[in-house]
Amino acid sequence: MASVTERPESIQKLIDGVERYNPENLEVLEAYLDNQCKNGTYDLMANLAILKLYQFNPTKAKDNVVVSILAKSLTAIPSPDFNLCLYLLSERSTGVTQLTTLQQLLEQSNYAKFWTLYNDSTYKQLTSQVAGFEDAIRQLIARVITMSHQSISASVVQKYLALTGDAFTKFIQEQQWSQQGDVVVIPVNKDNEAKAIVVRENIKFEQLTKVIGYSNEM
Amino acid sequence: MYQDTFEDDDLIAEVELVTQDSFTENNDLDDGFEAEVSLSAQPSSVQIPDGVRNFILYFYRCVLENNVYDLHSVYDNSFNKLTNKYYQKQPWPEAEVIAPLVKDDQVFLTLYRELYYRHIYARLQPTWEHRVRSYENYCDLFNYILNSDGPVNLELPNQWLWDIIDEFIFQFQSFSNYRDRLRNKSEEEWSLLRDNPQIWSCYSVLNVLYSLIQKSRIKEQLLANKNGGDVAEAAGEYGARPLYKMLGYFSIIGLLRVHCLLGDYMLALKMMDNIVLNKKAMFARVTACHVTTFYYVGFAYMMMRRYADAIKAFSTVLSFIQRTKQYHSRSYQFDQIAKKGDQMYALLAICVALCPTRLDESIHSQLREKYGEHLFKMQKGDEALSVFEELFHYACPKFISATGVNLNKSPSDAFIDPNQNQIKIFIADVSNQIMLPTLRSFMKLYTSMGIDKLAMFLDMDAEELKMHLMVLKQKSRQLKWSNGDVLEGDYVATSDLNFCLKQDVVHIAESKVGRRYADWFLRNINRCEDIVAELEQKA
Repeated sequence: MASVTERPESIQKLIDGVERYNPENLEVLEAYLDNQCKNGTYDLMANLAILKLYQFNPTKAKDNVVVSILAKSLTAIPSPDFNLCLYLLSERSTGVTQLTTLQQLLEQSNYAKFWTLYNDSTYKQLTSQVAGFEDAIRQLIARVITMSHQSISASVVQKYLALTGDAFTKFIQEQQWSQQGDVVVIPVNKDNEAKAIVVRENIKFEQLTKVIGYSNEM
Repeated sequence: MYQDTFEDDDLIAEVELVTQDSFTENNDLDDGFEAEVSLSAQPSSVQIPDGVRNFILYFYRCVLENNVYDLHSVYDNSFNKLTNKYYQKQPWPEAEVIAPLVKDDQVFLTLYRELYYRHIYARLQPTWEHRVRSYENYCDLFNYILNSDGPVNLELPNQWLWDIIDEFIFQFQSFSNYRDRLRNKSEEEWSLLRDNPQIWSCYSVLNVLYSLIQKSRIKEQLLANKNGGDVAEAAGEYGARPLYKMLGYFSIIGLLRVHCLLGDYMLALKMMDNIVLNKKAMFARVTACHVTTFYYVGFAYMMMRRYADAIKAFSTVLSFIQRTKQYHSRSYQFDQIAKKGDQMYALLAICVALCPTRLDESIHSQLREKYGEHLFKMQKGDEALSVFEELFHYACPKFISATGVNLNKSPSDAFIDPNQNQIKIFIADVSNQIMLPTLRSFMKLYTSMGIDKLAMFLDMDAEELKMHLMVLKQKSRQLKWSNGDVLEGDYVATSDLNFCLKQDVVHIAESKVGRRYADWFLRNINRCEDIVAELEQKA
């Protein structure tokens, strides 16, 4: 589960060996995180390595780095990345607690409340370092909607995505959904299809050869 | 990965391994020790009973001769018999006392001390002195193994090698827990702790484990094994010797455990790269190691929300324990294995409550017997969360913190207990899913239903219901292992309930598994033919 787009080889070598425990490598990893925030890429294992170094060297822990890592992992829901990061933290700053609140809202699919809380400036500030945070969250919500709905009323979608008007229409088109009146129609995919499946055995002929052989001998 | 179709000959193979491990046909050896028992059963601090003296001399000879086979029975049986006879409530004689018997052989004395301290930890209460000395003894032992000129000419049975690693980590865990319980500490203990940060430090433990892995080049060996390359060449000078190879391998399992204790589940599973979890793997050679591996792999999967994989891991090893139970009951490790088995049943109950799956019949019946009521409560109602918490608390490992409490702060300063931390996060996660079993049970009754009506049944409003439905959808998909390394997996549907929302109506469909006649018949036909053929041969 390396959810990585392209990890540079130097980073790969770093986290594969014992060098990941060397606190002097913190700068390299923190710079890599900075890169992720600016370019919209995401590398869970490297970020966990930073948190582990903080675990072992609590004096070197930087709150803004932790907050950025957590913000990044929010965009990976429904993967458990956020929790994996939380498990490694031995302290809870206010930033972390606030992000945890946001995470819980997303996990509960309480999207309307998420946007309300998020638009409060203290929360928005926490994720300001991460470029494209809002887009990533919207993508995530769109994924969930695609999985569970075949059609959904437009006003509900607007509430979930916190988008209206032109931005909303553009988003619909990007997702390849279509709008008919005030209902948004989502194309059928394997997740949102409610089909009854019967899982049957698939016996191949080769498996029967032995048995047929026995009957021959009789 | 899991070869689940256990045939009878597989069982025989397992039994052979196990009976070799608890070989007890050494009555003549025991008689040798007992024959000259001195009249006083209570050894004084200088007087060593003759039985013990003979044992030590024999033990020493086995170590010198690298006689692994006899050494195994000495280690596994005689040591425990003598412990039960003479040293139930007191420590074995100190190394210095027996030193003249073994001509002051430092290597042997280091090994002896390992057993000595292990006995203290197991039966008595270790003091600060003991902890420090034991730590130093382990340093001596690992120094000897890792930093001598060239590989050392020592052979020890696998069981002992595993126990060394296992005990090393256990004492580390014990020390961390001791260090963090500050409330009843005296000023003297505080200053001792503050002045000696290197004793049982996390770094030194990790250092030992990583060094053993590196020295034995076990990772390269495993990779060569997987790809069909030249294992001997990958092993190098140290790795070719069984002592190093096995210590390296057991260190991998050791790291799996340590990372879980520190809360880094992804790294824990990463350690298991190139190890395939079947019964031919090297960890299966030592039962305790086998059980430990599956416990931590399953636990890590569970914390990563890969419930289906966790269930499979636990089921596999619980079947193994059940099948080989009668062969283990004589081993002194039986209690430990039984306890771990119990904990795994608790974890299995949690996973099944979160991700309902069909289980193997015998496991299912055992689970119902032990945790039937808990399972029921976890899936309905208000007590669910507390039941989850209770089971998790019982079954989780004792987590440790990497650096421990800051000794320069006073005890009233906030310190997050690692156990509480892990439990809290896990329970928060579970609480998001707590309505799902009820929701599922309602949905199984209908093929389509309006949201408002369903919301009324469930006593919640429509908005809330829609949220729960979306959560249910997300939870029906998990990463599931199919091949490759332990961390890999594909997103698949793990629930048998399919649904979709069309505006305000839910459409539901359940997938069913057809009965698998063919597989069962084929297997039994083949078995029957084999038996008949055998009978005909004998006739």
